[in-house]
Amino acid sequence: MKDLKSYLERGILEQYVLGDLSSEEQFELEKYALLYPEIKTELLQIELALITYAKMNAISPPEKLRNKILNGLEFKDKKVQKLFDRSSKWLQFYKYSLAASLVLLFMSIISVINLNKKLNDSYEQIAILETGIQRFSNQVNSFDQELTDARNALYFYQNQADFKLVTLRGSEKAPEASLLVAFNPKEEEVMIDLSSLKMPSNDKEHQYQLWAMVDGKPVDLGVFDSEVDSTGMKKMKSVKNVQAFAVTLELRGGSANPNMDQMMAIGSI
Amino acid sequence: MAIRNKEKAGAEALYDMYSSSLYGIIFRVVQHEEMAEDLLQDTFLRIWNSFESYDSSKGRLFTWMVNIARNIAIDKTRSKDFRNSAKTEDIENNALTLNKQSDNSLNPEAIGLRELVAKLKPEQKMILDMVYFRGFTHAEVSEELDIPLGTVKTRLRKAIISLRKVFN
Repeated sequence: MKDLKSYLERGILEQYVLGDLSSEEQFELEKYALLYPEIKTELLQIELALITYAKMNAISPPEKLRNKILNGLEFKDKKVQKLFDRSSKWLQFYKYSLAASLVLLFMSIISVINLNKKLNDSYEQIAILETGIQRFSNQVNSFDQELTDARNALYFYQNQADFKLVTLRGSEKAPEASLLVAFNPKEEEVMIDLSSLKMPSNDKEHQYQLWAMVDGKPVDLGVFDSEVDSTGMKKMKSVKNVQAFAVTLELRGGSANPNMDQMMAIGSI
Repeated sequence: MAIRNKEKAGAEALYDMYSSSLYGIIFRVVQHEEMAEDLLQDTFLRIWNSFESYDSSKGRLFTWMVNIARNIAIDKTRSKDFRNSAKTEDIENNALTLNKQSDNSLNPEAIGLRELVAKLKPEQKMILDMVYFRGFTHAEVSEELDIPLGTVKTRLRKAIISLRKVFN
């Protein structure tokens, strides 16, 4: 700009600072101010002059006005505002969490009750099944025993020639008692015939015990009950050089030595 | 930053630094204490709420605020209720109060400067005050005082140059 000096002296800059220019004129001047640092400097000088003038004319407003005005402004003070925002957000969050938790709790209680009912039903079923299994198991054991006894009987009949049959007669205590014992000296096998077994009933605490008399001494051959489902032959312990067989009533499981007072049956070979 | 973030500390600093200058300007424009107080509040409200629009590349914060205060005050003088109340007020009387208050001003900078203001030629000071404090446009001053527009501009410029000498 050739006439920069005259532009500066035209009073436009003063008008600009005083806010007395149209927006078009303002825009033009701001454009020039960017191009010519002299204009910028001059504007600053005018501003400073008017600032000085304003300061010279300063009047302190009444004290009470300070608080009134400051309290009328809206602040976005971090501490207060953000805490508030956060707390209200958290409050919202907690509200929904609480509601969700209660719903979950309610549902949980219902499912726990249901599950508990199902669990109890299951326990009952299991108990029933266990009873059934026990029954079957007992039956299987019983059949197994019966099968074994039957096999023994079959074995006995197939090898009858090898067996000596000894009939034990009841003693004074049990005159009606009788028991057939089959003895195979070659194989040292002893079996009792369950189908012809006749002995007084024994209670649960007691069992009959079969003894072999070997050279005058009793040898344990095992225990048996008077009442059995099986009709086969029960295999007893093996023994050799037997002279006689005897049966005593002993405590269940048998004893090491025979109780002679309870001698029930006896028979010599 | 405290002002841009709208923190209370920013507003307090702003008020403490500029309230007396702005109040001085507003008072001189409206010549009425109560009204000036209300307008000072309006001024701070507008400064505070439109602070985002202040562009530091276009001028000083002080100038921006002064122009807000002047515009608010001058708008008031042009409003209907102001003209009504002005009839009952003795402006000369107010001017006296004003000078008295100015004397009692707590602003220490103002004290040494007053003598220098006195050095302003009366015709320069009058035009400056008309424009600065009463919101006259250059054209209105020219009309009011019945002097050419060019003269108004020259005198105003000279007044400002005199002021510049004060702080240079």
